[in-house]
Amino acid sequence: MSVGKSMLWAVLAVPAIVIAYRYATTPDILPGDLLHPTGEWSARLIIVALMLTPLASLFPGNRVVPWLVRHRRSFGVAAFAYAVLHLLFYVLDMETIAAMVAELEAPGIWTGWLALLCLVPPALASNDAAMRLLRRNWKRVQRLVYPAAVLTLLHWMLVHDGLAPALVQFAPLFILQAWHLARTFTQPPPERTMI
Amino acid sequence: MNLRFLPIAAALTLAFAASPAAATGKITCDAPQKQWKSMARLQADLVKQGWQVRKAKVDGGCYEVYGTDPQGNRVEAYFHPVSFKKLLVSRRGQVLFRAK
Repeated sequence: MSVGKSMLWAVLAVPAIVIAYRYATTPDILPGDLLHPTGEWSARLIIVALMLTPLASLFPGNRVVPWLVRHRRSFGVAAFAYAVLHLLFYVLDMETIAAMVAELEAPGIWTGWLALLCLVPPALASNDAAMRLLRRNWKRVQRLVYPAAVLTLLHWMLVHDGLAPALVQFAPLFILQAWHLARTFTQPPPERTMI
Repeated sequence: MNLRFLPIAAALTLAFAASPAAATGKITCDAPQKQWKSMARLQADLVKQGWQVRKAKVDGGCYEVYGTDPQGNRVEAYFHPVSFKKLLVSRRGQVLFRAK
């Protein structure tokens, strides 16, 4: 692992360490109290991963963005890891499988499950071996992150009291993707094949 | 072009942030705090009715309880702090009960 990648992973692990520390040290804390931070970090990292391509075309001369684009897989894998933590706290909170099945019909719940399912194939295919094996299809598998993002937003909006926090975090992604789409249709960019 | 884009992004972010906030399904109660009955008493009453209470707190001047209702649903429920009237029960954002 390169120094840059190790440092990136150290940064990506910080929220998990803070969450684990809170869980271990706060008296009377319930697993359910940690649903929100773990889910929020997963969503944030999905948003960051999906913002990188439009950011790269928005700031062509920038040097940081291409570095981030090269490490996009790490953001994706971290997003999945936080989603798994989110699931873990959900399971601890619900205690029984029967309780989880019983509330599966709630839109706020099944959207969350579907979002997680969409993240599984890209996460499993995130290693170099899978990348070589899948070749052109690798990109198709990774594109499952887009429906995962939409489902994550729905899950968050439905399950949480207010729409505002979810929308605020997703707004930059919407704007960047809209800008990127508009640009793709109006002028075929020569750098499209590079990323 | 790049710099022109940032204010637009900021404006849209604020627009998103400002408008839906009023439309949260939250409930408010406006009874003076001196008249409130204790949260412990509400919890005891609920347990008697078959609820399991995991956590209770004050939200919007109402008592908000996290737990399992007598039907076995994992819910978040709001009660009036004086009358203990059940105001709202929701399961993962899905409203199961709302007082008329």
